[in-house]
Amino acid sequence: MVQERRILYEHLDVPDINTFDVFRQYDGYTRFEKAIAEYQPEDIAKMVMDSGLKGRGGAGFSTGLKWSFVPKDIKPCYLCCNADESEPGTFSNRYVLEKNPHLLIEGILICCYAMGIETTYIYIRGEFTLGKKMLDAAIKEAYEKGYLGKDVRGTGLNIDIYSHPGAGAYICGEETGLIESLEGKRGQPRNKPPFPAVEGVFGKPTVVQNVETLCNLPFIVGNGVEWYTQMGPTYADTRANPPTPDPNTGTKLYCISGDVNEPGVYELDLGLTCTELIEVAGGLRGEEVKAVIPGGSSAPILTHYELDTRLDFTSLTLAKSMLGSGGIIVMNETRNIVDCLLNIMKFYAHESCGQCTPCRWGTPWVRDIVQRIADGNGRKSTMTRPKFGVAENGRWGDTGETEDIYEDLDLLESVANNIANVDTMTWNTICVFGIAVSWPAVSYMRKFRPEFEATIREGQLVTLPVAEATVPPEENYAYQQRFVPKEFADL
Amino acid sequence: MSDELIQIETPFAFNEENQRKFDELIGRYPVKEAAMLPTLHLAQKQVGYITPAVMKYVAEQLEVSVMKVKDVVTFYPMFFEEPVGEYVIRVCHTLPCALRDCKVVLEHLKEKLGTDIASETNLAKGTTADGKFTLMKVECLASCDVAPVIMVNDDLHKNLTPEKVDEILDNL
Repeated sequence: MVQERRILYEHLDVPDINTFDVFRQYDGYTRFEKAIAEYQPEDIAKMVMDSGLKGRGGAGFSTGLKWSFVPKDIKPCYLCCNADESEPGTFSNRYVLEKNPHLLIEGILICCYAMGIETTYIYIRGEFTLGKKMLDAAIKEAYEKGYLGKDVRGTGLNIDIYSHPGAGAYICGEETGLIESLEGKRGQPRNKPPFPAVEGVFGKPTVVQNVETLCNLPFIVGNGVEWYTQMGPTYADTRANPPTPDPNTGTKLYCISGDVNEPGVYELDLGLTCTELIEVAGGLRGEEVKAVIPGGSSAPILTHYELDTRLDFTSLTLAKSMLGSGGIIVMNETRNIVDCLLNIMKFYAHESCGQCTPCRWGTPWVRDIVQRIADGNGRKSTMTRPKFGVAENGRWGDTGETEDIYEDLDLLESVANNIANVDTMTWNTICVFGIAVSWPAVSYMRKFRPEFEATIREGQLVTLPVAEATVPPEENYAYQQRFVPKEFADL
Repeated sequence: MSDELIQIETPFAFNEENQRKFDELIGRYPVKEAAMLPTLHLAQKQVGYITPAVMKYVAEQLEVSVMKVKDVVTFYPMFFEEPVGEYVIRVCHTLPCALRDCKVVLEHLKEKLGTDIASETNLAKGTTADGKFTLMKVECLASCDVAPVIMVNDDLHKNLTPEKVDEILDNL
């Protein structure tokens, strides 16, 4: 069985680790001291780049690369720590904030030193009242001990950290939405470019990083790049010639919830499979796995055929899903996928910020279609049409058979794909919220089409057995590259 | 037109403690407007909800138009524009909680409090007649491992069953 490797969470359960003195006993702030004593700021940035650390907030973008985009000559530069953890299924940051806030402060200090940043805002979710209390107390203590404020530990660095409470809007977790919200406006995302690294909060270069990403920094500095890159797989990206390394290094705080016996946060090396993770989390509650959501509710669903998929950034992208924030939701054989989709679509319809028309109107429309299907009023035509699938020549095309027309399923796919097209990965909205809506909508419907069809036919929610609820990957439309020419698909 | 639309009820001003907090807040940002959310949180803590008078006061303090404050207040679900009960009960109903039967908890609360669920535009619907409780559904509270969860004002309660809900309400 895979073993947990606790690094970020190692001292989480130590009593009073939230206080400076106890944190100090467990090597607290020594990594920051090492950084300022032994390295130049550029060395730290290079270490982060070499470590292959990818942003843990959702997009999985290389942290080192993000830092390299920040212009060196424009000051001040800001750091925004994204603690607006709102993705359904994700709850790892909450524990860091509530139990070990000094670790986050140390990570921020290292980032500030590397990037020459003087002011940091921690955008903390409005509902995290306990987390904010603990964090504020820790910040106060760090000021008292001279690790924050003017002339930190006699090094001449000036670093300030302020916590900034949100007010319950999911969209403020998007980096430009967060910046708008921090500026005291509605949290409506901005057009990119300019990216925040060039023009962010108050019009200045801004680094936006997730709590978990920043918490990795003390360990990269403290234990070295070589130690860090041993954890997790590094793949070769063969699209480039010669192939470039595609690192998925480090540990990930996997948040597992739903139908497992021991839900919780498990810190493991990146790259274990779904089956292994479920085993680590005390096994499945129920008989069979019906579906797994691998990266928060925005991620396309995985069926029981895909349980061998490795849970890291690259493997899940290749499986046309995403690791996202690492919120894994497991569903057993008793769950109805139509009902689950309805729940998620209600969430997105509620959380759309209303800035872009396709999303403002599309999300409630998708919700209403799914609601109609779940209520037993889903529409089905009396006519049939030619069936598309894997044709005789092995390519996608007309199979010569006919199929029933489920108007509501076609409509669902059409509306969702017009918010953001999941096949071409283009979105008609300013931010990626659009793709976060259409990804689940289209993937649930395509992968569990038999269950949707049965529900429409019977006029009530029908929960099919696992084997019948989904279609094998080789016959399934959802797995096909529809618009990508064959030459590119093989890359 | 603004004078007619913005009815000023009881005038609002920060009490001494909040004024001190506000003065500290304002120094954190290069522009005053950025202190909007923390300021509104302070004001809401003081009077329970965001009245037109609060919006006017905040607008003056931050040197922005009242409309801009209203704009922000209407955007964020945590700001209330109507009176709410002494205890605001937030029930999470997103997928991980739904998989762990949050419906049972919600139905039990509805029955026990004898009230409906508040909607964002109609908080009175979910407020009990004695003004003690407001029941509302919220999206994910980021505690999916201990689902189902509710928040009573600032406190999170985990792994709920109807019995535990009774216990929580009795202890209030």
